[in-house]
Amino acid sequence: MATIELRGVEKRFGDQYAVKPMDLTIESGEFVVLLGPSGCGKTTTLRMISGLEAVTGGAITFDGRDVTWSHPSDRDIAFVCQFFALYSHLTCHDNIAFPLQARGESRGEVKRQVAEVAELLQIGHLLNVRPGALSGGDQQRVALARALVRRPAAFLMDEPLGALDADFRETMRAEIKRLHLEQKATTVYVTHDQIEAMAMGDKIVVMSAAEVQQVGSPADVYYDPANLFVARFIGSPGMNLLSGRYEQGVFRFGTDQSYTVPADVKPALERAIGQGELILGFRPEAVNVQPSGPIASKVYASDLHGGYAMLHLDIGGETVVHARAGRGQRYAMDSEVRFDLDPEQVRFFHPATEEAIRKEQVS
Amino acid sequence: MSVSPTPRTRRPLSDRNITLLFIMPTMVILVLMNVYPLFYSLYLSFTDYSVISAEPPKWIGLENYTTILSDQRFWSHFAVTGRFAFLSVGLQMLVGFGLALLIREKFRGSGLVTTLILVPMMLSPVVVGVFWRLMFNPSYGIFNYLLGFTDINTAPEWLGQPVLALWAIVIVDVWMWSPFVMLLSLAGLSAIPNYLYEAAAIDRAGAWFQFRRITLPQVMPLLLIAVLFRTIEALKQFDLVMGITGGGPGDATEMVSVRLYREAFQGQFDTGLSSALAYIVLIVIVAISNLYIRQLNKVREG
Ligand SMILES: Nc1ncnc2c1ncn2[C@@H]1O[C@H](COP(=O)(O)OP(=O)(O)OP(=O)(O)O)[C@@H](O)[C@H]1O
Ligand SMILES: [Mg+2]
Repeated sequence: MATIELRGVEKRFGDQYAVKPMDLTIESGEFVVLLGPSGCGKTTTLRMISGLEAVTGGAITFDGRDVTWSHPSDRDIAFVCQFFALYSHLTCHDNIAFPLQARGESRGEVKRQVAEVAELLQIGHLLNVRPGALSGGDQQRVALARALVRRPAAFLMDEPLGALDADFRETMRAEIKRLHLEQKATTVYVTHDQIEAMAMGDKIVVMSAAEVQQVGSPADVYYDPANLFVARFIGSPGMNLLSGRYEQGVFRFGTDQSYTVPADVKPALERAIGQGELILGFRPEAVNVQPSGPIASKVYASDLHGGYAMLHLDIGGETVVHARAGRGQRYAMDSEVRFDLDPEQVRFFHPATEEAIRKEQVS
Repeated sequence: MSVSPTPRTRRPLSDRNITLLFIMPTMVILVLMNVYPLFYSLYLSFTDYSVISAEPPKWIGLENYTTILSDQRFWSHFAVTGRFAFLSVGLQMLVGFGLALLIREKFRGSGLVTTLILVPMMLSPVVVGVFWRLMFNPSYGIFNYLLGFTDINTAPEWLGQPVLALWAIVIVDVWMWSPFVMLLSLAGLSAIPNYLYEAAAIDRAGAWFQFRRITLPQVMPLLLIAVLFRTIEALKQFDLVMGITGGGPGDATEMVSVRLYREAFQGQFDTGLSSALAYIVLIVIVAISNLYIRQLNKVREG
């Protein structure tokens, strides 16, 4: 299994950046997810790693070997793409056998290995059919089988579940995760679905506008977003963000509301902005509804989800924040609700640079 | 004096009538120009009849057919035609598909090159035939000169020897019609989605493996269509033969349709016999086409 390193890798089409210079290390056996909205350069990044797209700058190494200008076939990778890219004129068996036959395996060996993967993915009964006759899910399985049968050094997957319906995605997601754990293969997985990213990734690379926004574990990008983009993009709904002013340890916002900033971030805030404009962020589950809470709001709406209620709270008539509350209690529309925030889960952002302001690490 | 306007109601045509109105002229022309001659010539093929005689057609049953099939010379015409079709279509496929592979990648001026290659196909076959006859001429033709034969005594006499004469027609036919095969091949090649080659590169397939497992099967349906069209044309080959050899030397390049022409429009104007010969050619072509089409469907369905 390979360790993949990108050093300053970039891609320009004309003078337009599809991917701005990025650094990324993908450890051997790691499952890395590239996550971002449509058009942010995920596919381009993956294609550069595969060698199907030439870089316009930077270097790519596999296990320390420079492969920046190597042909895809010299990189020992498998690529599963969104629209499967199966050989339409070949049967499923021949599709899966293709990489084996291409390297000249004997007939018996091909048969054995195809049968083995087919059994793993439960497509044994489809081997004599052409892919055109199959459902999206089965085609995806065949594409996965073709990738798996080679036992490559790394798997690259570009939204492999994008074309499947919700039910089946869940199953396939689990299947891919299992295969990954069994084979311990280095995997780079592209998706624009953050739930998928959270569920599958050891490491998530959040991209936007051709740029890497944050690299971190699912928990990192969820609880400690590096900037406002990540804060808004990750989570559904995204992080609640309140604009206000910071003055002497107090965050003032809305109509005369104030929130006392946790003591341990004050030094960082004062260093970053002194006194002045600040953005405060918190996840819905950081909200504690309690009559003595410092923040006043009015219930705008509330929806019941399976195990909890999602409150939409109107703060000072302009901002609606989302809060998670127990199902136990009912909240009438327009009733007053006061709440507090879990000080561990309050985050701050610089309004101009949009970067997170984090409390200083005690060293 | 008052004129009361009489209300003239115009009944709109029904959809069905409009349909008929549009189809009828075509149908009438089709019947007059195609269907009637087809069946009338079928009838004539069973008669003793000449268009230039005053005698009406006389029914003689299968006699025309037995005359043709028992005459050794007709069999040799079929053999020549078959040999010509095999050589000419085979070479056209090789040259045409080869050219298509070469100019498949877009390069500067590839549009111009493609157009230039297509020129022979657009010329009139009679003109082509006459010009090539001049080029094949052993004393002043340029063809031998280009091949490097400058001594008139050792140079091959293309139109004078039976085997070479057939090859001469094959060469001209290949020169003229390979571009057509190339055009069809290009259409087939450009319809192969690029992602198949990307997938093959990822699967670490070499160039030859990619050609065998992706390119060839993907263009096969269009190649078979090219073979079908060219075979039908080759079996009907007439104008090039007339232009280049006129069927000679002797009757070495006398193909079926040339003989058909002679029977129908020269000497006795034997309309009955030539109708029978035309039907034999038609049956052969339909049979061969059917074989090809069956093969084509097999390739499509796999
Ligand atoms: N061949 C190309 N020529 C010009 N621009 C391109 C080309 N390929 C991609 N781009 C541009 O590069 C940017 C990134 O494209 P890319 O396909 O990598 O996005 P993506 O993140 O994969 O999006 P999606 O989620 O829609 O697949 C886009 O703005 C796209 O228009
Ligand atoms: Mg994409």
